[in-house]
Amino acid sequence: MREIASGLRCPVCQNLSVADSSSEMAREMRALIVDQLRAGKRPEEIRDYFVSKYGQWILLSPPPRGVGLVVWIVPTLGAAAGLGGAVWLLRRWSRRKTAPLPPPDEAVLARIREAVQAGDSLADLTPEEARQVEALRELQFDYRAGKLSTRDYEELRALYESRAAAALADARRQRREAEALGPVAAPAAPAPPGAAPRGWRWAAAALFLVGFGAALGYFLPQSVRARGDGSPTGDFLTGTREEAARAEAPDLPVLLQRGRQAMDAGEWDRAIGFFRRALEVDPDEPTAHASLGFILHRAGHSDRALKSFERALARDPTSPPALWGKGLVLYESLGKTAEAIRTWETLLAQEISKEDRDHVLSILADARQRLAARPGPATRSPR
Amino acid sequence: MAWKRLAFIFAVGVPLLAVLAYGFTRDPREIPSPLIGRPAPAFSVRLTDGGEVKLADLRGKVVFLNFWASWCPPCRAEARALEASWQRHRGGDVVFLGINMQDREEAAREFLREFGVTYSNGIDGGNRIAIDYGVWGIPETFFLDRNGRITYKHIGALGAETIHAKLEEARQGVQSRREGKGEYQSIR
Repeated sequence: MREIASGLRCPVCQNLSVADSSSEMAREMRALIVDQLRAGKRPEEIRDYFVSKYGQWILLSPPPRGVGLVVWIVPTLGAAAGLGGAVWLLRRWSRRKTAPLPPPDEAVLARIREAVQAGDSLADLTPEEARQVEALRELQFDYRAGKLSTRDYEELRALYESRAAAALADARRQRREAEALGPVAAPAAPAPPGAAPRGWRWAAAALFLVGFGAALGYFLPQSVRARGDGSPTGDFLTGTREEAARAEAPDLPVLLQRGRQAMDAGEWDRAIGFFRRALEVDPDEPTAHASLGFILHRAGHSDRALKSFERALARDPTSPPALWGKGLVLYESLGKTAEAIRTWETLLAQEISKEDRDHVLSILADARQRLAARPGPATRSPR
Repeated sequence: MAWKRLAFIFAVGVPLLAVLAYGFTRDPREIPSPLIGRPAPAFSVRLTDGGEVKLADLRGKVVFLNFWASWCPPCRAEARALEASWQRHRGGDVVFLGINMQDREEAAREFLREFGVTYSNGIDGGNRIAIDYGVWGIPETFFLDRNGRITYKHIGALGAETIHAKLEEARQGVQSRREGKGEYQSIR
């Protein structure tokens, strides 16, 4: 059971397997797997059953077929390429290290040994020669102090001496070449080859950065979904809706009208943006509060809807939309029929269009009927 | 050498970036249902009024199958629209059937009372029907044509217009290419 469940993705979790999830859905899926196994189904059949219901999505590891093959092949290729690259690099490095030094010239070697033993100043040597001689002296010192075995000492001395000899021979050759070329040509030579690639590199880096920035700027806003109030960035990353509302509509009547239009068009979050902006201008604007109340009521948040209507009524106790909405919440969501009837009666005392009046009257009749049919706590519901 | 290296970096980096960028534009929570266009899985469910209904018995009728739970806010949001649509279409060849899942029975009954739901509702005790229909984010609604084929699936709250349009499509056996999505879901 665990084997099947751990290969299935829990549909109500974020990337948890059915085996690891404690959700009710996953628990029941596990129970289903157990039942099926008991009924004699093979694991592949059970897996196929889930795939037939949820699609390939349900499998944590896609089958190595079609597009799914890519996720199996690419990592393998990548690992092989990485391993191959590492082996290639290591071999290159080791080859460089073991590049054979030219057999030391006996005369030069003798001169070096003499310089090491002499122990006097190194002033008459070139800096490279001085460094090698210094190293040989240190090695000798270490050996005498008993820090090195005889074998190590011999080996290291041979290495250092041959290196020193090579450096000496090199230095001599260069000196000879420099004399042949003349003293002017030497320092100017190395500058040009380095300059051009460096320029290209900068240009490429700049191009890459610009491209990356553009791609980020284009894809990020597309990929981030809009959230409600809970998001720390609000709509900032997702199209700056409120920003737009701010720029477009500076004054209160326009904001309210835009909000109503958005509401009529069913664009609830846009409407909420406009009404919120209106409330920033005037925190007690009754129409904005009432409209937000309707949206909240529609979304099923009865308590918050009621609060919005109450705020609207606090400013304007006779606001028809707020009275209508408050009655609606009380009647439809909270079941406080008697209170709703009282609210609507207040509404009928206001000046409203005939159409609205008829509508309210018909709903009111329904409510009264319901109240009469179901005598209970609703009738007594106190304020 | 510098050119080669640059070309190599671009050859590797650009496709990688492209894949990343493409991934960002996709919704990882989207589960495209393989069930649209297929025969609806058969089931029999115990109703809240004590009766029992078999899907096979509803053959010849357009079925509106809605999975819901009392704790799910978008289910609350759509409840009135569903009941209103039922009132509009009842009596014809349309059957509305609610399937309550992941819920306590008392809470479910309270929900039905609160929203005055009059169409039949079944209790899916072990969520077996829900799993059979590949349900993951309630509310989810399936539209079945007269032959018991799923013509449309909707995830998230439904509006009356969508219900009407999709019932009409189911009546004519028109099958949607993919599922729809409400703006409001309980699980994302």
